[in-house]
Amino acid sequence: MTALNARDLIINVPGRLDSSPLNMSIEPGQVWGVLGPNGAGKTTLLHTLAGLLPARSGQVKLNDTPIKALKRRDIAKQLGLVFQERQDSFPATVMETALIGRHPWLSPWAGEQGEDQHRAEQALATLDVHHLSGRLLNTLSGGERQRVAIATLMTQNPNIWLLDEPTNHLDLHHQVKVMSLLRDQACAGKTVFMCLHDLNLAARWCTHVLLLYTNGEACWGPVENMLVPEALERLYDQRLITLQSNGLTVFVPAP
Amino acid sequence: MVSCWLNFRFALGFLIAILVHPISASEMQRCAEDDTGKKLCLSAAAQRIITLSPGATELVFAAGAGDKVIAVVNYSDYPPAALTLPSVGSHTRVDMEALMALQPDLVVTWVTGNPPAQVELLQELGISTFAIEPRTFEGVSSVIERLSTLAGTEAEGFAEAERFRSGIATLTAQYRDVDPVPVFYQVWEKPLMTVNNEHLIGKVLKLCGGVNVFGDMQRLIPRISAEVVLQADPDAILTGSVDGISDDQLDEWKKYAGLTAVEKNNLFFVPASPISRPSPRLLDAIQTVCEKLGKARERL
Amino acid sequence: MTRSLLGLGVLALASMALALALGSVNVAPADLWQVIQGEGSTLHRTLLLDLRLPRTLAAFGTGGLLAVAGALMQVLLRNPLADPYVLGLSGGAAVGALLAMLAGMGTLIISGSAFAGAMLATVLVFGLAHGTGSWTPSRLLLTGVVVAAGWGAVITLMLAITPSYKLPGMLYWLMGDVSYARSPWPAVVVLAVSVVLIMPLARNLNVLARGPMQAAALGVAVRPLEWTIYVVASLLTATAVTTAGSIGFVGLIVPHMLRLILGNDQRIILPASALAGGTLLVLADTLARTVIAPEQLPVGVITALLGVPTFLYLLHRSR
Repeated sequence: MTALNARDLIINVPGRLDSSPLNMSIEPGQVWGVLGPNGAGKTTLLHTLAGLLPARSGQVKLNDTPIKALKRRDIAKQLGLVFQERQDSFPATVMETALIGRHPWLSPWAGEQGEDQHRAEQALATLDVHHLSGRLLNTLSGGERQRVAIATLMTQNPNIWLLDEPTNHLDLHHQVKVMSLLRDQACAGKTVFMCLHDLNLAARWCTHVLLLYTNGEACWGPVENMLVPEALERLYDQRLITLQSNGLTVFVPAP
Repeated sequence: MVSCWLNFRFALGFLIAILVHPISASEMQRCAEDDTGKKLCLSAAAQRIITLSPGATELVFAAGAGDKVIAVVNYSDYPPAALTLPSVGSHTRVDMEALMALQPDLVVTWVTGNPPAQVELLQELGISTFAIEPRTFEGVSSVIERLSTLAGTEAEGFAEAERFRSGIATLTAQYRDVDPVPVFYQVWEKPLMTVNNEHLIGKVLKLCGGVNVFGDMQRLIPRISAEVVLQADPDAILTGSVDGISDDQLDEWKKYAGLTAVEKNNLFFVPASPISRPSPRLLDAIQTVCEKLGKARERL
Repeated sequence: MTRSLLGLGVLALASMALALALGSVNVAPADLWQVIQGEGSTLHRTLLLDLRLPRTLAAFGTGGLLAVAGALMQVLLRNPLADPYVLGLSGGAAVGALLAMLAGMGTLIISGSAFAGAMLATVLVFGLAHGTGSWTPSRLLLTGVVVAAGWGAVITLMLAITPSYKLPGMLYWLMGDVSYARSPWPAVVVLAVSVVLIMPLARNLNVLARGPMQAAALGVAVRPLEWTIYVVASLLTATAVTTAGSIGFVGLIVPHMLRLILGNDQRIILPASALAGGTLLVLADTLARTVIAPEQLPVGVITALLGVPTFLYLLHRSR
């Protein structure tokens, strides 16, 4: 069973002197949402868990092996990332971008095979961007590019999916589609861990939630335990009104 | 009796030698050392000569081999006959194909003027090259003689070399006892350049009784500032121009009324070509310079 | 896409054939054929085999080296304005060559000195950029640009103090001239070997173009890859500059032109750059030595005259 483990992990946020050490086990089938205000360190945490940034102290373990000890290629077969910000100096086509996801699986001399092509096409179709296959990335809208990024992760098909605000730029329809896709992936045995700026998404789709405070405090646990109005109000420094409808809990900023 | 017989034998031998000499001359190797110290031997007199600098063109013509020159490079403007000859490019970028197509048996190069890469290529392709660059009056005579040896035109070449030598000797004697005149020779205006006494122009100045104020500088063609010229305060300033016609190259100095040369109106132009090329035309250049310095002396 | 590479290959061969057939001396096709068969007059043999063939090969090798180095620099620095000289490599080579010329050395030492200068420049920029350990493309670029300016100042100083008669030689070296190449083999061999060696890295470069974090997340060992690219690009540029002086324009424009037609896949762009860069320089050099023969033009001027309109046309068409 694949798992991502944080042991006494303190992430390196410049200027922040002390933070609570994180001790959590991120298991397959779980959908984690990380909530917190801007500057709390959500992206830093994501990158640290992916092994891209060094932690200030503590350890990240991938399948019980410290992530520092693993080669990037081996990590990439287990773990994939959708970044919040992307670089576009040499734009490629949508299909080429999706196919890049197969990179960890291909040997240097091998080209992409039919199966890789098939996976990419499927991923693009699932994200509703297959009709844009031949287009250059920089000619697409923000939402379309976001979906291509997620399709790339899907093509990579790792066991652990890390996503940084996956619903950015997406219209309501695609927000729902992407979030249900992620939940379906988790049900199929993947591990999903994402940063969210919208706590209602967490409320609706996540199984576990991690709250990151600006002062370094953190608490985590199953979603039903975490979404306590007082904690959320303190997190966002904003009064909230809780609404229940059709079995769903929704939080709205109080006037 | 014995001495008569010996004389006769000596005379006979001499006669035979004279008769034999011209016949085997063409079978003898023609050897000469170039100005880099390399010895070149040709199995026969050169018939197809290409010159890779205007100076070389002039010197080959002076050696009497002008009608054997089949190609030159740009700016080979003396003697006038050279202007009708085809060119193989510039002295820094030679058209190798055109050169090879003409199938020369001797290529005369300039020691510091042609790129070493191209000269090496010529040598690799089996072409006989002869590098020249006279630095003294005797060097001019010597190079004419050596070129004429290679071209088989010794009669004209040696005669021309001798004419040059005696011309120099005459002029040297003529101007041996004149009063020295401190002089500055301006090679170029911007940047300001002059010559030291090692340079042929420096030697021309010296022959005419000029004392080159920058004669002791290390470099052959030093780049200097206006300040040092003002400090040296020469009695005369000379520069080269097209055909010796006055142009604006010395106008800068007129600003400095305190300069002796300006005060005495001793700013002179000499024809640039004869003084700048190490060739027999130096005799004309010397005449001109000595004449100008003579004028300068009168005005001082 | 191998079709494009094949097309470029055919174009390359055609340009080389043209270069062999054309020159300031007219050689009829029948005579050309004779030489190829091993006969022909001595003059024709010399023209073709001793003059045109080495020069054409040198031009192809140099053009290919510069274009591939340019493509690599653009990926390394993630900047489309990068060219092989942006990090001061040609400056270092120039200083090396000019020092040797100043000392009156022969052509072999001048070449060796140029190469040493280029490698020194590489190490210098790398060491300076490495600094505190964080080695980003923008830091490398900034360091390189500043060091290149430094070399430029040294070159200007050398030109100012050198005796006048040495100036023309130095200026012609700085302008770049394929005719000064002593032997085409270093350029051709280094080009062939390098392209073969970096092909396995080509897809990694595609991933790297997404950004270093993204590349790492997809399994690319970013730092080692960047070092490798830097060293290879430096070696290619040093060889090119040592062979024919600093010929500009090819390294910047050829990868761009190819990207406009062929897209951004480095697996195609790298070998295509080698072929197209070589072709461009062969054509430019052929023009430079024939168009106003016996006058010989500097090849860098012709590459610009050929490259600029072609590039503008392609840019216009791609809108």
